[in-house]
Amino acid sequence: MSIMKTNYLLPHRYKIIGWVLLILGVISGLVFFNQDFESDMLKMDVFAIYNGEDIFNKDGGFFKIIENNSILDEITALSIIFGGLIVGFTKEKVEDEFIFKLRNDSLVWAIIVNYIILIFTIIFIYEFTFFNVLVYNMFTPLLFFIFRFNFLKYRS
Amino acid sequence: MRNNIKIERARHNLTQADLAEKIGVSRQSINAIEKGKYVPSTVLALKMARLFKMSVEDLFTLEIDD
Repeated sequence: MSIMKTNYLLPHRYKIIGWVLLILGVISGLVFFNQDFESDMLKMDVFAIYNGEDIFNKDGGFFKIIENNSILDEITALSIIFGGLIVGFTKEKVEDEFIFKLRNDSLVWAIIVNYIILIFTIIFIYEFTFFNVLVYNMFTPLLFFIFRFNFLKYRS
Repeated sequence: MRNNIKIERARHNLTQADLAEKIGVSRQSINAIEKGKYVPSTVLALKMARLFKMSVEDLFTLEIDD
């Protein structure tokens, strides 16, 4: 009888790739935050399944090409998400029942903490700052999960 | 639940890492079990008892509030 089967995890060797993507993404995100989420880098035409209309853009709708859009924000967000998923869901050097329990507990805590932050935000944060918090909220479950799992693992 | 793993480990002159390697778990697991922070599965308890050549009941004992 094997001690623990965790067949949804990637092999341990991919973890380093995850850390590189995650760290680069977080650094890029922090720089981006200081520039109010605007950038002139990596401008190109992108395809949108749906593009919303606003005062700057009258040509919204389905299946549009958006011209001259900086893709730095897309790359940053995807880098954090892919990096975080890889770091969080690759095997440790030794996988066993205790590590499995730490990972599951950390996932549960990440969801609870994320929604506590969100509840607090809904009640106490208004206007544009609310949407800024939602941007961070896209990443907090993964980041909290990774932080708590590794913290408990290294403390043990 | 109490356990005598630390004592048995000292008796057999094994570090946490040695014991972890012998039964195929992480060093963190041994540490957490010794500190009483984690209750091992039956399989893991049996493996430890077999390694120390004793019964599970001699290695692990229930406490009053269990």
